[in-house]
Amino acid sequence: MKNGENGLIKSRPLYITTALVLLGVLIFSLLLAVTFGSVRIPFRDVYGVILYKLAGIGDASVYGSGKVRDVVWIIRLPRLLLSMSVGIGLAICGVIMQAVVKNPLAEPYTLGISSGASLGATVAILMGVGTMFGANYVGVMAFLGAFGISLAVVGIANLGGRATSVKLLLAGMALSSICSAFSSFIVYFAHDRDGIKDVSYWLMGSFAGASWENLRVLFPIVLLAFLFFWSQYRNLNLMLLGDEVSITLGTDLHRLRQLYLLVSAAVVGFVVYSSGTIGFVGLIIPHLVRMIFGTDHKKILPICALVGGIFLVWADVLCRVIIPGMELPVGILTSMIGAPCFIYLMVRRRYGFGGAKE
Amino acid sequence: MKIDVEQLRVQFGDTKILKGVDLNVGDREFVGVIGPNGSGKSTLLKCIYRVLEPTAGEIDLDGKKLKDYAIKESAKKVAVVAQHNYYNFEFSVQEVVMMGRAPHKRTLERDNAEDFRLVHEALKKVNMEAFEDRSFSTLSGGEQQRIILARALTQQTPCLILDEPTNHLDIKYQLQLMDIVKGLDLTVISAIHDLNIAAMYCDKLFVMKDGHIVGFGTPEEMLTKERIKEIYEVDAEVMKDSQGHLHILYFPAHWAGASM
Repeated sequence: MKNGENGLIKSRPLYITTALVLLGVLIFSLLLAVTFGSVRIPFRDVYGVILYKLAGIGDASVYGSGKVRDVVWIIRLPRLLLSMSVGIGLAICGVIMQAVVKNPLAEPYTLGISSGASLGATVAILMGVGTMFGANYVGVMAFLGAFGISLAVVGIANLGGRATSVKLLLAGMALSSICSAFSSFIVYFAHDRDGIKDVSYWLMGSFAGASWENLRVLFPIVLLAFLFFWSQYRNLNLMLLGDEVSITLGTDLHRLRQLYLLVSAAVVGFVVYSSGTIGFVGLIIPHLVRMIFGTDHKKILPICALVGGIFLVWADVLCRVIIPGMELPVGILTSMIGAPCFIYLMVRRRYGFGGAKE
Repeated sequence: MKIDVEQLRVQFGDTKILKGVDLNVGDREFVGVIGPNGSGKSTLLKCIYRVLEPTAGEIDLDGKKLKDYAIKESAKKVAVVAQHNYYNFEFSVQEVVMMGRAPHKRTLERDNAEDFRLVHEALKKVNMEAFEDRSFSTLSGGEQQRIILARALTQQTPCLILDEPTNHLDIKYQLQLMDIVKGLDLTVISAIHDLNIAAMYCDKLFVMKDGHIVGFGTPEEMLTKERIKEIYEVDAEVMKDSQGHLHILYFPAHWAGASM
C-alpha cells in the first residue's frame, strides 16, 4: 500500500470476480461447516438430509426423520444460516453507522446500540415489560432498546454544538455502560433462575438458540436492510462529505440520517434478539473491506455482507471445536479477536475511511 | 442565469451577521464579493447555496424564490466550490467527480455512459484526465480543488459559486483554478480575499463591511486607494500597468517611518 493507496481492487471486472468468488466461498463455507459438530455424521448423510429437505430427492425413511435429520436440519443448518445472517447484518450496520456518524470507529457495539438492545431484552425477559407486543415481545423490546439508545447517542452528541466524532463515540461508550449497569442491576435483583440464564446468554452472544422460526424473521430483515442500504449508496457516499457539501449536491442528509439509524437499529435489535450481543464484527469487517476496495458504498456493501457472513460462520465453527466437549459463546471469541484489532486501528497513524491520513 | 438577493438578514442569537443585503447578478457575469474577515461574505454565499437559512429577506434564482426550489432542483442551478477541506476517506477521483451527477439521479438510477462522458469531460476541462483512477486523498491541495471544481462542472449548472476556493493554495494553483473558471462562460459569484485576484478576474465587485454592501461597481471603480483604506484600514497604491491591468500594492505600517 504505497502512498496511502488503499483501494487496491479498482477495475470493475476484478471487483465482480472477487464478489463472485466470495459468494462461492460463503456457500462452500456453509456446506463445509455443516459437517462439523460434536456428533460425527458422514458427509453422505449430511448432504442426503439437505438434499431431501430442499429438493425432495432421496429416501424419506432415511433422511426424512430420525436423529441424523434432527442434528442436521433442526440444529446445524439453522445455526449456520443464523450466524451468516447475523454476520451480514452486523457488517452492513457497521458500514452504515460509520457513514451516519462520519466516524470510522463507530459500530453497533461502540455506539451503545447493542447494549441498548440487551437492556431492552433484559427488561423484557426478567420484568415481563412489553408483553403487549405479542409473542415476539422480547425482540420488539430489544429493537426499542437499540433504537432508543441510537437516538440518545445522537441527541447527546448534538448537545452544546454539532456532534463531532469524538462526542458521538464518548456518548456511545457512556450510554453503553449505563445500559450494561442497568442490565446488571436488574439481573442482580431478579430471582428468576431461568431468566438470568437467558439474559447471560444474551450478553455473551451465541447461536445456540437458532431455529427456523427465528431465521424466518431475521433473514428477510437482514436481506431487505441490505437491499435498502445498497440502493442508498449515493447518499451514503455523500454522508462522508458532510452535510454542507451534500446540500450543494442536492441531498439534505438530516432526515436520511435518522432513517438509516432507524433501519440499522431495527437490524441490530433483531440480531440481538436472535443471538445476543456480538461485538466488533461491525467494526473490523468494514475496515478490512475498505482497505481493499476503497470507500464507495456501492462496492463495499455487498463485499462487507459476504465477508461478514463468512466470518461469523467460521467463528461459530471455531467456538464449537476450540474447547473439546464445550462450546464457547461466539461473542466472547469475536471480542477476543476484535478488541486487539480495535486498538490497532486506533494507534495506527493513518486511520480513517480506508486509511486516509488525518 | 440571474440571481437576485433582496434585503437579506442573518442573525445568530443577538449577533447580526447580515444587515439587509441586496445583490443582483446578471447572466454570465463574473462577480466578486470582497471585504475583510467577518464582513459577511461567506454568510451571504452560504445563504445562496442553502447551507444557511436567512433570518429574513429573499433570494430569487431566475425570478423564482429559492425556498420554492426543492434542494435537488437548486442543486441543478447552482454548484459550489468551497474552501479546501481535507477529506478523511478513500474515494477515487472518478468517484468524487461522479458525485456531481447526484442531483440528476433518482434513487435506483444507475450511472450511464452519458454520466461517465460528463465526468471525463469535466476532468479534461480542469486538466486532470490522467488522475481519473487515482485516490483522491493522495492528491495535493491544488489538485484536490481542481477535482472539486470538476465535480461542480458535472452538476451542469448555469451558476457556480466560489466560496474562497483558493484559500491555502499556492499562487500557481490560485491562478490556475480562477483561469479555468474564467474560461467557463457561466454565471459566477466568488468570495475573494486577495484584491489582486479580484481585479484580475471579476467583471463587477460587491464590497462588504459589517454585514452591509457598501460598494458596487467595476474593479477599477471599487479598488481605489481611498476605498481600500476605508474598508481594510490598510495603506495601498493602485496602479495600472502598460497593458491597462490593475495592480494593488500594499504599504505595511513599518514602512511609513522610513519612506516619509
